[in-house]
Amino acid sequence: MTKILSTDFVTVVQKDYLQVLVRGNGTDQFNQIINKEISINPPLKNLEIKSDDKHIFAKNSFDQWSLLYLVEEDYKKILKFIENLNLNDEILASDYSYGQVYFEITGKNKNEFLNKLTNFDLRSKKFPVSTMAQTLIARIDCSIYNLGSKYVITCNKSFEDYFQKRLKDSANLS
Amino acid sequence: MPALRNKNCNYISNKEIKITFDGKSYSAYEGDTIASALLRNNIRLIGRSFKYHRPRGIYTCGIEEPNALVQILNEHNEPNTRATVKRAYEGININSQNRWPSLSFDIGSINNILSPIFSAGFYYKTFMGPKGFWKKIYEPLIRRTAGLGKPPKNFRSKSIHQNHNVDILIVGGGLSGLIAARKLINTDNEVLIVEQDSFLGGILKNSNKIKKIDGKNVFEWIQETEKLILKSKNIKILKNTLVTTYNFTNHLIALEDKYVGKNIDINKSELTLHKIRTTQTILANGHIERFISFRNNDLPGVMLASSFEKYIERYGVVPDEKPVIFTNNSSTISLVKSLINLNCKPCAYIDSRKKKDIEDETKEYLSKNNIPFYPESEVEGCEGNKKVEKVYIRNINNKILSISASMLCPSGGFNPDIHLFTQSKGLVKWDDKIISFKPDTAFQKTITLGSVSGNYEFKNLCNEINKKLSFLKANDLNIDIETNIRDDFSINELWETKTDKMSKWSKSFIDLHNDVTTKDLKQAINEGYDRIEHLKRYTTNSMGTDQGKISSINSLGIVSKILNKKIAEVGTTTYRPPYAPLSFAAIAGRSTYEYYDPERKTPIHNWHIKNNAVFEDVGQWKRPWYFKKNDSETMHQAVQRESKQTRQTAGILDGSTLGKIEIKGKDALEFMNLIYTNAFTKMKPMTSRYALMLGEDGMIMDDGIICKINDKHFIATTTSSGAPKVLSHMEEFLQTEWPHLQVYLNSITEQFTTFNISGPKAREIISKVFTDIDFSNEKFPFMTFKSFNYKNTQARIMRASFTGELGYEIYISPKHALHLWEQIFHYGKEFNLVPYGTETMHLLRAEKGYVVISQETDGTVTPLDLNFNWMIGKKKKDFIGKRSLTRSDTAREDRKQLVGIVPIDKSQFIEEGQHVLERENLPSKIKTPIEYLGHISSSYHSPNLNHCISMAMIKSGNKLKGKKLFVSTPKGTKNIAVEIVSPVFIDPENKRLVS
Repeated sequence: MTKILSTDFVTVVQKDYLQVLVRGNGTDQFNQIINKEISINPPLKNLEIKSDDKHIFAKNSFDQWSLLYLVEEDYKKILKFIENLNLNDEILASDYSYGQVYFEITGKNKNEFLNKLTNFDLRSKKFPVSTMAQTLIARIDCSIYNLGSKYVITCNKSFEDYFQKRLKDSANLS
Repeated sequence: MPALRNKNCNYISNKEIKITFDGKSYSAYEGDTIASALLRNNIRLIGRSFKYHRPRGIYTCGIEEPNALVQILNEHNEPNTRATVKRAYEGININSQNRWPSLSFDIGSINNILSPIFSAGFYYKTFMGPKGFWKKIYEPLIRRTAGLGKPPKNFRSKSIHQNHNVDILIVGGGLSGLIAARKLINTDNEVLIVEQDSFLGGILKNSNKIKKIDGKNVFEWIQETEKLILKSKNIKILKNTLVTTYNFTNHLIALEDKYVGKNIDINKSELTLHKIRTTQTILANGHIERFISFRNNDLPGVMLASSFEKYIERYGVVPDEKPVIFTNNSSTISLVKSLINLNCKPCAYIDSRKKKDIEDETKEYLSKNNIPFYPESEVEGCEGNKKVEKVYIRNINNKILSISASMLCPSGGFNPDIHLFTQSKGLVKWDDKIISFKPDTAFQKTITLGSVSGNYEFKNLCNEINKKLSFLKANDLNIDIETNIRDDFSINELWETKTDKMSKWSKSFIDLHNDVTTKDLKQAINEGYDRIEHLKRYTTNSMGTDQGKISSINSLGIVSKILNKKIAEVGTTTYRPPYAPLSFAAIAGRSTYEYYDPERKTPIHNWHIKNNAVFEDVGQWKRPWYFKKNDSETMHQAVQRESKQTRQTAGILDGSTLGKIEIKGKDALEFMNLIYTNAFTKMKPMTSRYALMLGEDGMIMDDGIICKINDKHFIATTTSSGAPKVLSHMEEFLQTEWPHLQVYLNSITEQFTTFNISGPKAREIISKVFTDIDFSNEKFPFMTFKSFNYKNTQARIMRASFTGELGYEIYISPKHALHLWEQIFHYGKEFNLVPYGTETMHLLRAEKGYVVISQETDGTVTPLDLNFNWMIGKKKKDFIGKRSLTRSDTAREDRKQLVGIVPIDKSQFIEEGQHVLERENLPSKIKTPIEYLGHISSSYHSPNLNHCISMAMIKSGNKLKGKKLFVSTPKGTKNIAVEIVSPVFIDPENKRLVS
């Protein structure tokens, strides 16, 4: 965990999460296969997320899901999980763990802060708790997960330096 | 002597500040604008006009100001600042503009003497000839004299953007906006109020027209309303913020000045550009007073009547104690009352309306206070040396009277401020009662309230708001507004007064900013420019930075009279954003300098920096271009060294930017056969293949290496810049053309860092790093790959090469990438392993004759043109582009084809992009087109062959091999003699590749 910035109104922390990207048809059989592996049913509605203390499981689109591990997990287990999923022809699971970076945004002004970098409508009536979105933040493709008290934002690791700088710059120039 | 102060004004502080104007120091009060501060010091001459350099003063008290533009020296040398808007602060240093050597003595004012020749269309008529004058004389001269102030230098703006999403946006925090906001307090709507000023109230603070609201004085009512709004949970206020733009889908742009009344801090953002998306827009942005054209209506001392009143009521400064008031409407009595309240008295009140149309109340008030009253009269003109000294009145008997006065306050009526409404594509209509255009049909979800909708009657305001906002289901408000003046607005039409021209240099202006006169309008119409849009451009009327806010309707009035048409028939010109000038810095926001474009870095980036890499931008990626061995090494020397070393021992490239796509599903094989030209059916698992992707037109779109894990699982690489395009191309075909195929795709570009190690010693080095893997030719032949576990992460090594040497591509988790890269260098040291960049990569692949997509190809090249027939699965039933390859045009033999080219004189160098021709020399002057055969697509000096090697796309290239042709040079007419050869310059037998 790395603290990127902290003000009276917003805090940004970078986390070392792990992630698996799953694609499939979302049928009962698909759900069973997933559930058998990690005991969570994949969310059914587009952009919906299911989360507990350990996971965020989000349905990115009609045939794509993201599974984020919020607590340290044995990486070997995750690779095994991916391997098991890929035994099924109707599923493609890819390891996204180290190719992505993860930022947690908290604080009472987190919406205003992020709206310096994105025009995405973060109001709760448009972006309710337990939903996710894929949008541009600081002009790069990001996924944003609304967990109520915080947002989790992920983007490609290649943008890590740039994104960190933009976050700090926005906080400094508020 | 300082001007009289209105001590009843609550809005200006008593704190004194010092300002400097044209090098002289003056006292002002905190809260003053530059204009009010200068008026406080009886400064009337502020600047010089744009074209004629005529002396100009302060004409208005707001954003509509056409004259008083100044340069702020102690910020970032900000030019063209409106003195009527910019707040003064302690130490502000202001200069007047467009004058030399001084404001009072300006050499440029010779233009005024020459003005009879500078009439409408002067530029168009004058700069036609003689030939050559434009470039050498006219343009440099115009450029030198153009503009008003001086542009800022060495200033790095830190302006930021802020996005908002709200249910309702209220533009304007004046009376209408505040009543609408009160109605919306604690409703379910998220509301944003945007106010251009630093406080709410608008007209309530600008005049004494309103006495009480709900029994409270206006100051108390504003305070109470603001408190209620701030206490509410659903309404926010943005002050010092001007809405400049109203785009489609209720998207509005507003600019916030964050340093109002203080010097900017260069370490902080000075401006915020607010981008507001809203469901409903309420425009409550009021009206703008217009002027009247008369002789010398531009003299310093002429100031619009409502602006004069605003200086008294809001800034507490009385610009003049005995002004002349000239009106065609009922509103100006409010100014008279303001003056009388301060024991001042207008020296004349001139009303163009017939006596019977003038309100009895006005007549009685003027009479009671002994104010000279001229009904059915008009101002013929005014005169004076750099200021108003005499005003000429044409009275009811058509006689000219002159009176001495130093200020003249005309009022030509009011225009609803419809700029934003028309920007939103709303339609306007002419209203004969108010003699102006007003909003008619909204194009978007836009509501206009108050004077912007043409309602000038305060008592009707609450009803209007209740009615127009009834759909919001908020409670009706009943607000009682008590006024100091009669509420029913009355006006007669008057655009220009009759002139008894007394001098050649007297002018009646229609556009003060661009120095356009009413005579110019008449002349333009006489010359045939009778359409309002043509006339505007021919005369530059209302094209200044004020966009003719106080005068554009007047010009329509004058034009309609000349054309003998109704104004509604003449129509309006188009109001375009921005409403007021917006700096480029504000528009750019943080997308400048280091944030101009997002940057992508590979996990090895910092190592590259430490090892003197010089980077090039490849899309958003920062890729090492070459590595400097020492400071004195040139790029050419570095590339030659890297290339030579790689072929002698080994070199390594950071290829992480390469696109990677994972493809899986029971129909993956069929999908791959359809999307690429190659045949994959007979391809063995755990082997790889160079593949081509075509567009539907049969032209090469991308290339890459395909790794087949099994028939249901593939990994494809793409070009670095083509990765997103290829993935979306694949997804599009899966979702639209082949939905029956069960195939899933994931981009894994970022999940694997990629290194390409190649050279005769590559095997020895890599064997030392991965000791568990047998890299022998037998166990690990060319175009095969192995997956393995590296420190508990997935890894893959493929035997492939883009240099023509023995090579391996390593795919590793970014987590261990840097460590592995360093390990490779550790073991490669004894073999002089060298890191190389993209330039060396290009040189090495050119030596081997490998093509680069978008270098050898340009969207018009087929696989056959590159002699890639072997890559087309001819037995395949179908693939994208297959049908197009059989078209006569794509199959013809005289298409441009890939060849190699070497100079016959090996000491010569061929430049990329040059033409290939059959002619040895070019004529010194090219009069007729010269046929050329094609162009050089790649060209390098090969350190391994010690001469230049080039690749070219030339007509019938395959048949020309062995022939002598010529290549043009960037300079001179003598072409370079060359021989057409095979594009493979090194190891055509592939001995190195498969060694």
